[in-house]
Amino acid sequence: MKRRAFLKAGSLAAFSPALASAHAAGTGAERPLSGRALKRTQWSIIEAVQDHLLPSESDAPGSRDVNATAYLDRTLADPKFDPDVKGFILKGIGWLEEISQQEEGQSFAEVEPAKREDLLRRIADSGVGERWLSTLITYCLEAMLADPLYGGNPGGVGWKWLEHDPGKPRPTPDKIYGRLGKA
Amino acid sequence: MNRDFDVCVIGSGAGGGPVALTLAEAGYSVVVLEKGPWFREQDFFKDEIACCRRSTYTPNLLDERHVLERPDGDGGWQAESTFDSGWDWWNGNCVGGATNFMSGFFHRMKPDDFRLLSAFGPVAGANIADWPISYDEMEPWYDLVERRVGVSGKIVDHPRQEPRSSAGFPYPPTVEHPISGWIDRACRDLGYIPLPAPRAILSLPAMGRDACLYTNYCGSYGCSTGAKGSARAALLDHAVRTGRCEIRARCMASRILSDARGNLEALEYLETNGTRRRLDAKIYVVACQAIETARLLLMSTGPKYPDGLANKNGQVGRNLIFSAGGSGAGDIVYPGLDPKLVDLLDVRGLFVNRALQDWYFYPDPKTGQRRKGGTVEFLFRHANAISRAVAQKWDSSGDLVWGKPLKDRIKSYFASGRHLRFEVFNDWTPVDDCFVSLDPVEKDKWGMPVARIRLGYHPRDLEVGRFLARKGAEVLERLGAENVSWSVSGSPPPNLVAGGCRFGTDPKTSVLDPDCRAHGLENLYVTDGSCMPTGGSVPYTWTIYANAFRVAHRILDALGGAACARS
Repeated sequence: MKRRAFLKAGSLAAFSPALASAHAAGTGAERPLSGRALKRTQWSIIEAVQDHLLPSESDAPGSRDVNATAYLDRTLADPKFDPDVKGFILKGIGWLEEISQQEEGQSFAEVEPAKREDLLRRIADSGVGERWLSTLITYCLEAMLADPLYGGNPGGVGWKWLEHDPGKPRPTPDKIYGRLGKA
Repeated sequence: MNRDFDVCVIGSGAGGGPVALTLAEAGYSVVVLEKGPWFREQDFFKDEIACCRRSTYTPNLLDERHVLERPDGDGGWQAESTFDSGWDWWNGNCVGGATNFMSGFFHRMKPDDFRLLSAFGPVAGANIADWPISYDEMEPWYDLVERRVGVSGKIVDHPRQEPRSSAGFPYPPTVEHPISGWIDRACRDLGYIPLPAPRAILSLPAMGRDACLYTNYCGSYGCSTGAKGSARAALLDHAVRTGRCEIRARCMASRILSDARGNLEALEYLETNGTRRRLDAKIYVVACQAIETARLLLMSTGPKYPDGLANKNGQVGRNLIFSAGGSGAGDIVYPGLDPKLVDLLDVRGLFVNRALQDWYFYPDPKTGQRRKGGTVEFLFRHANAISRAVAQKWDSSGDLVWGKPLKDRIKSYFASGRHLRFEVFNDWTPVDDCFVSLDPVEKDKWGMPVARIRLGYHPRDLEVGRFLARKGAEVLERLGAENVSWSVSGSPPPNLVAGGCRFGTDPKTSVLDPDCRAHGLENLYVTDGSCMPTGGSVPYTWTIYANAFRVAHRILDALGGAACARS
């Protein structure tokens, strides 16, 4: 399947053919917004997924330590961000949650780690599910290794972990992506 | 007739910069139109997000894109936009163009590159043509570029060395990494001649520009010291200082307008807010990089030019070329090495600067006939952290990795050694199925048709590329690298593009005359890489700069010579 088709034509069935059911769960009322692009329920689900994809360790930072959810929220709120990629990330949250409710009877955010692994393995079996996880990993790693001015990598914790020298000069707040070159 | 400017240059990169500088210094009024913004040294940082992961120096694909036609595997062509594929084809769209972001590997073409057809004969299925000028005619301009753009390097005696009018380069080589000595030894053990690769990077401060600071992020990044010989830092800044060159940034040329008799009337352009404006000049110079140059000419229809300017014979956009070849890599693994050696290898920011041209020409293994080969260039893997980390998410069998296994892979990749690469440059044989046209459907944000590019290639390019890649891999293995691998494909590098408006003596088969003036149009020139019938087996930038200086002096002659006295 071509990239754009992946992004636009996904469905719960494409996400996880084995788990998809004809019964579509009701989404219920959304709680108030807590991010710029992510709603509060989306925030807690994506936070749990990111935590699982890039876990925190005592000697190595993970998604939680680099504000990966806030970073993703800010990235998705960029008006120049590809709307189909944004839509794909958000739809995937809904699909995962639907599967989690169906299989485990609770939100992915509440599911215990071993079961989370099981659910993510199963959606990774589909091309769409694997692409969704792969996309999330990319933005987790951006949060880990981008300049702290973008909201992740606090104090350069990601660079320190990898003993990476990010080079000089460092960007200034008024000249980062989104601000530099604006007329 | 009174005109707004003597010369209007459309595009501010390697093709536009030399023309603006030459004519402004000679006393003529010049306007340069650039569709993108004007960044200065103080706008360039080591910011991987801005540089390499979002569209900061290039248009957003939501606003402007290309359509690429690739073989569908069934003898036909399948079109897909770059917005859909995610394969971005923009290079630098800002003052100085893509030269801001080059690595500055600078090589001249060789004398036989200017006469490929005469020297090697025709190739079935290809449109190889000699250049209408010789290396000897180009040499003084290559030499001028060394001094005005600033080329650093060292000449060593070797059989492929092209004739030079200056003994050495004006600047000594940039400081080199200890690995360069390893490459030298490995090459010599194998009987090959390692060449110090010249760079368009100042090793010493000069011409009002600072020297390189060796901060380890060069290619893809704008230079914060001005050491890199971009058209902006090396040429346009000086042109502006003459007081006779005006740069209009964020102005997108939309059409060159012509009247009922076929005379060029004005340039029509669009400001960011969509305001349509016009200006006129005695001479129009198009230098938008090959694809966009062809697009502008094709869009510039008029009463006398129903198929676009300079396109009477349907040649505009034809015979587009890229650099053929591929790349390879190997790991210098730290565990097991003397810690003192590891300390040396772990030094960041110094340059590798090594190339091989032993097989620039070589005897065909089967027939023994002399044939055209190419260049192998060695370098470290780019220092970008995010791209290196993201690459670790796929394991060797192509499965997605996450959790602690992913973190372990990333940590190990960053800590275990250095990652040496090589790039292969060989001729992109010109073929009928590699050309630019206007897309019938896709439009940019201004409503203008986007460029559609058919990406056919000649199978011979892969054969030569593989031959050279095996040599590069052999060197990596010899110097002790592990996990050596390489790949060669017909998938072109969009940043190494030329052709589309060939120069030649016959108007039926070329768009431009030997002075890069459009056949039949006395005041229209094209000075980017579009004129090149063949590209040599090296990156094009030095040749584009040199040819643009050459043509700038032809334009100067056409205007009546230096006019300093009157200004």
